[in-house]
Amino acid sequence: MKEHFLWALSCSVDIPDVSVCALLDQLISLFCFYNGPVRQSYLRHNRSDLARHWARYLTHLQGGSSELHHIFSCLRTIDSTNIDPLLLLKAALILQACQRCPLVLAGCILYRGRVVSTQMPPDLTVKVMVHETESYQQQDPRPVANGMNGVSGTPSSSTGATPVFLTPAELQALRCHPVDKKCRSHCAPQPPPRPRKSRLLSRTLSDTPPDELDIVNLDPAPTPSSCRSSLSDESCYSACLSSEATTPQLSPVHQSEISCPADAKSYDHGLSNGISACKLKEEVVMGKVANGCNKKMDIRTSQSETEARDAFILPNGNGCHANGHHLDQPGATDCLSDQSSCDEQSDSSCRRSLSNGAETPRKAVLPENGEMKRTKTSIGTGHVGDSEMPTHTKNGCRNGTEGLEERETKENGTGRRQDEREESSSPSSSSEEEALVPMALYQHRVRALVLALLVEPHFHTDQAAVEEVYHSSMASLNGLEAHLRTSTPGGPGPHGPYTFAHYDCIQNTLTSNLSGAPQERSFVRATALLHSNFSQTQTLQEAIVRNAGAAVYATRSTAQETYFLQHATAVRNSGIPNHQDSAFSLPSKARHRLLKHGVNLL
Amino acid sequence: MKCLLVTSESAEVLFYWTDPEFQLRVQEQYGAAREDGEAAPAFEDSLNTLFAPIIISCSTLVDRLGDSYTSFSTENKDTYVLHQFEECLYIAVNGDGEEDEDDLKRRIYVMKKMTDVLFGMVTLSSDLLKKELRPQDSEQRRALWRHLQGLLETYSRLREQDQSFLVEAVERLIHPTLCEQCIEFLERRLVAQLNSSTERQGEEVQHAFILVHTKLLAFYSSRNASTLSSSDLLTLMGMVLHLHPSSPDIDESSPEDVRDTTAGSDVFYTPEASPTHHHTESSRIETEAAPIFQFVDPDIQMAEDSLQTLQSCRPDPAQPIRVFLESTLKEGFYPMMPHSMYTLPLWPGITLVLLTKIPNSHVAMSIYHFLETVAKLEKRLNEGPEGAVSHRGHTPIQELRSKMDKFLRSLANTHIQTSQLQKVWAEFKARAFSRGGLSKELVPDCRRLRNALCVIFRQCFFLPENSSTHRLSPTLQERARTMVQDKLVDWKDFLLVKSKRNITMVSYLEEFPGLVHFIYVDRAAGQMIAPSLSMADRASAELGKGPLALYIKSKVWSLVGTARRYLQKGYTTVTQRDGDYYYCYFLWFENETGYKLEVVDIPTLPDDSAPIGMLAWDYYRKLLRYYSKSHSGEVVKCYELLTVHLGVIPSDYVLQHCSQLARKLWEPSRIPLL
Repeated sequence: MKEHFLWALSCSVDIPDVSVCALLDQLISLFCFYNGPVRQSYLRHNRSDLARHWARYLTHLQGGSSELHHIFSCLRTIDSTNIDPLLLLKAALILQACQRCPLVLAGCILYRGRVVSTQMPPDLTVKVMVHETESYQQQDPRPVANGMNGVSGTPSSSTGATPVFLTPAELQALRCHPVDKKCRSHCAPQPPPRPRKSRLLSRTLSDTPPDELDIVNLDPAPTPSSCRSSLSDESCYSACLSSEATTPQLSPVHQSEISCPADAKSYDHGLSNGISACKLKEEVVMGKVANGCNKKMDIRTSQSETEARDAFILPNGNGCHANGHHLDQPGATDCLSDQSSCDEQSDSSCRRSLSNGAETPRKAVLPENGEMKRTKTSIGTGHVGDSEMPTHTKNGCRNGTEGLEERETKENGTGRRQDEREESSSPSSSSEEEALVPMALYQHRVRALVLALLVEPHFHTDQAAVEEVYHSSMASLNGLEAHLRTSTPGGPGPHGPYTFAHYDCIQNTLTSNLSGAPQERSFVRATALLHSNFSQTQTLQEAIVRNAGAAVYATRSTAQETYFLQHATAVRNSGIPNHQDSAFSLPSKARHRLLKHGVNLL
Repeated sequence: MKCLLVTSESAEVLFYWTDPEFQLRVQEQYGAAREDGEAAPAFEDSLNTLFAPIIISCSTLVDRLGDSYTSFSTENKDTYVLHQFEECLYIAVNGDGEEDEDDLKRRIYVMKKMTDVLFGMVTLSSDLLKKELRPQDSEQRRALWRHLQGLLETYSRLREQDQSFLVEAVERLIHPTLCEQCIEFLERRLVAQLNSSTERQGEEVQHAFILVHTKLLAFYSSRNASTLSSSDLLTLMGMVLHLHPSSPDIDESSPEDVRDTTAGSDVFYTPEASPTHHHTESSRIETEAAPIFQFVDPDIQMAEDSLQTLQSCRPDPAQPIRVFLESTLKEGFYPMMPHSMYTLPLWPGITLVLLTKIPNSHVAMSIYHFLETVAKLEKRLNEGPEGAVSHRGHTPIQELRSKMDKFLRSLANTHIQTSQLQKVWAEFKARAFSRGGLSKELVPDCRRLRNALCVIFRQCFFLPENSSTHRLSPTLQERARTMVQDKLVDWKDFLLVKSKRNITMVSYLEEFPGLVHFIYVDRAAGQMIAPSLSMADRASAELGKGPLALYIKSKVWSLVGTARRYLQKGYTTVTQRDGDYYYCYFLWFENETGYKLEVVDIPTLPDDSAPIGMLAWDYYRKLLRYYSKSHSGEVVKCYELLTVHLGVIPSDYVLQHCSQLARKLWEPSRIPLL
């Protein structure tokens, strides 16, 4: 039972229970990654389509890789011993270059379904790879699976994007990523000049976290909610304010849609909005300080409400999918960033929701919310309202003067949310299920090489950002592809009179010289047993097991697990303890032999 | 949070055992629901409600798929293991994470083994076994369940505390001279005298052994007796230790002290009111142990009280226990031959056990033979095409006919009621020997015939209450007891101490520096040698008290589990560096002269196979048989060695130690058991 659904997965008996559970979890999270919360996707899409998706994810999880990959459920990477390390470095640099764009969270480079370089945590890379593998198999430069849209008007046809959904934990992990912001701001290619005030607008929360969250990084367990709630409002907003005040030359790269006719209008909005937002924030902070309340944000609620809003918008989305505007209804964490994109919105759904917000602010406050702390969502709503609606601006002003904005914005928020709840046809579901944050997956393909980037949802509406990323990476990608094509013979590593598997627990990668021959079965079996033993006994460091035919040596540290089997030592012995037994010389042999595979056991 | 439940397919509780925590949980769950002043439902009913969905889903799965689940764990980490023997479903539950699936499975198989030993061939008929496990009379039922529950508790305690029950092999007291003397004494004086007595009423002592706590001091089998299998011996030891509970922690002190602590220790290990409890010693202990129920639930208290009264109205302490043991006779292998077991406590902690063959045991052989034939016939009828059945099944059927007729005639002269069997047999004959009789329609008749045979078996071999026929007379028993007491009186205190410190690590440290612990098992003989790992408060084990000793103990226990898991998958050697220790496990084969035989690939068992061990399902006997196939004409022995070394010792030395240790330990295991 998970999220009100009953899940069942059947496997052959050989697979240990733990692995089955892990596989099921992986499958579910994969589905959620591409389709969003399960319940909502079933409301939105037709069952047979989703069944196809499930089947696809399942085949992806099962297929392709060797049994060893299943045992560790790890990534398949390029064999780094075979290619020039400089190429790996180059790949890493490309990714870093892309990250200069503040809308890009993290990325990875894949070649022929294998990872060359990744910035994402392993489980996320796996999810990204599903899509890549699929499109690679289709040999289609513009894969259209899963409601995916090629970005029209972009200079190349080999890019694309698809909406994806991240759990707050994943998002948090990405945002906590210690990206050097200074590097971002200084090294970024010069953006087109922008009016100063719109820059303020374009400062998003997603930009600021690298700074703010440095503090959080010290937190030993930065789970999304704890992280968020440990961040007091003050730090958030003051950082916002200070960055607005002190770093005016920050690159406002994601001000979007240069060619948009509503450009000028958006600037105007930006102006007034910037001020009011600013003021609002200040007042918020003051109000809070005055209250002396130590505010704990109920991020869960806010996220689920965001999701509810999402759910409401998506089904009625009026082409939301096509122009990606629904993605502008963001997760709680980037609400503040909404304005810039909302500014340009002439989308009716957005309007409607906003007008809902505007019309219902004085509806009864939910009683249980009476003492509830204001959440970012409600602030965000307030902003949007301010910027869009004259009445709202007035509202905000009045609030400001009366020092009651907190309550009012809350009213706005709750009222609006209430409305959405009412309108939403989906039954209330668990917060876990809805706590997914919509993002987008950007892909740039050069033959078999793919650059996949996780980007903010409104990335591809932001022409400048798209172009920046595209141009900054295209040349290097082409070069990298050419190098990889020539330097990857594709065969497994050098064979010796031994079999080994080296699992990197941190990067979740596996190096091995397995060829898939049937006599390797015993090695795989022993590895499976030893691996489950390792996972059961935390203190276990190394082990040797032997039967009549083979002896396998296994060793592990916190970062890696290594398994080693020496061939052609079928010297018949009795199984009685004997220190001359060849099985016990395995550790030294393994140390010796694996050095040339780049595995250091010393 | 442990529970074991035996139910029928119709979800009737045939037997249950729970620990107090589990009982409390169930009572809270179902007792709290009734706030309207109604009495809480009976515990058995609550259990029934709790498990009904599982039982029903299980039988539905069997119906639909012909298969069922063997284990599952719930979201709050309860582990359930299920196993179906014939028509009885066994469910073992653990809710506190102390036991894994293997342990639960083992408990189920141990329970099955105990019912086999207690009920013999009756277990071959599910209908009868159900009645036997759940007697109609509630007093009787309570008494029986209490007895079985006590056995299970004793087993659980032994498995947690005693290395010999951990590895499922018999541990002997290592004192060659005394052992030899005792064996000689048992043979020349005791058994000879008993078997020549006129008061033995036809019973013949076949095996005699002296237990000091969980360790075997001496064991003697008469020449014509079938060997007692390790599995049976371990089960019997468990039963003896249940009847005469003795904790190995109690004997360092003066006798007065001993009595106090005996009573005290009963608080934890549920005192057993059992048929033989009314010997002078134990009855006194029982009265002293009155306050033991203080933290037991009132319901249980009532049950216990009524049990006490029930027990006290069975006046005969000399009543033996009927057990059904494996016998390999010249006529063949018989898995459940009736024996009587007399347990004569010499002193607390030291017990003399006599196993006798009962006079009419040949009847059991005949019944087993018939049961086997009918079962085979039934199986073939169920499988094979009918034509083939009639051809191939012809001869055994004719043979069955003549033998059964003869059997019925021979029974006619005894007091045994054979009318039911005669009726069923007549129907069977009428159908089977008519035209086209050997078809599937005969299957129900086969079943009825088997049931009737089991009824006869029950009649013949279950001990009626208060019967004084067929047993060694009380005076004879008393004489045997005093004889052995006289023999051992000077050794008594020594033995009690020795049993606790059978082998000490000290004697090995000089030769094997860095060795922390080892267990050596001779699987062919079913015996083990290991330094004592006593965790009791008073015992000053070499590892001392406290966390380190406990840690080593827990590691040894978990290493045994790990080694079994690897063995199950065919690995005979395992070494592990774990924390600050280095663990080794070896299994190897030798011939009789100690020549090391080469390893072969041993079979890989599926995950749901029976647990590896000797008590419930003799894995090692099967392993030896498997190995012997490739070594015909040779006696094959199988040994295991587990060692724990300090991690700082280089692995070369560790392995050298292991091989030296194996050589060194080989000698003591040569001491003849018989």
